[in-house]
Amino acid sequence: MSSEDDEARLRAALAEAHRRDAEVTPSFARAWRGARTPSRRGPRWLVLSAAVAAVAVALVVWRNQAPAPPGISLPAGTQWVGPTDFLLQTPDLITLRTAPTLDLGSDPYLHPPTDGRDLR
Amino acid sequence: MAPPDLEQQIAALHPASFAWALACTRWNAAEAEEALQSAYLAILEGRARFDGRSAFKTWLFAVVRNMAARGRRRLWMEAQMPWRWMSAGRDAQQAGPLDAVASEERGALIRRALAQLASRQREVLDLVFFHELTVEEAARVMGVSAGSARVHYHRGKLRLLALLGPEEV
Repeated sequence: MSSEDDEARLRAALAEAHRRDAEVTPSFARAWRGARTPSRRGPRWLVLSAAVAAVAVALVVWRNQAPAPPGISLPAGTQWVGPTDFLLQTPDLITLRTAPTLDLGSDPYLHPPTDGRDLR
Repeated sequence: MAPPDLEQQIAALHPASFAWALACTRWNAAEAEEALQSAYLAILEGRARFDGRSAFKTWLFAVVRNMAARGRRRLWMEAQMPWRWMSAGRDAQQAGPLDAVASEERGALIRRALAQLASRQREVLDLVFFHELTVEEAARVMGVSAGSARVHYHRGKLRLLALLGPEEV
């Protein structure tokens, strides 16, 4: 079959596929008027957005109104020690709060005695 | 606001534009009408402007194609949403009269064969063989290079001929 035959066949097939298009084609006036109306999707997205916002507000309100867990009351004069508190007692718990200083005034090599003693 | 001559030009091309919108939406009449209205709205609002760099028909078809693609993406996204019940009414609308009328006819068989093609193959064949555009004009409508459109054209031709079978002549 030649290329022209193929193309004629495809042309006829496409025409057949479109044969009933006219039956469902809306009038131009209807389509044009539909386009002129305010955005058709606006209200739907508005409803969705409002619903999401309402759910978010409800969640926030519910969380704020939820009762706090009851506090644990210990008998007077007792102290609760957690079973893993010992893990916090590390060997280097005592830390230096200031930089260490040396008392250089008492160093005999820097300040040899004046009474004639030999340091050697 | 669109000038009157623009409206007249669009009106003159309205049946062809709708036929093209049908091809872009795999002959879903409701989706095609939505795409066409969105295209008209884009033109009315000035979001789509004809700059004279191509034929008016080529430009209008490109706008319709873009709107059909946008509609497809929106439908896909809505299908993924948990609040899908909101679009239930729209889904019910989607079965256009074509589907009811044309279940057994030859045109329906051809449309089914066309639906099996890649979208760009289907589009280029529709533009060239039904809307009488050149492959280069079809490329402009589809937003691809002429070379790419030629590849889609040749592959689409071979595939559609194979799908139609020898007895379809």
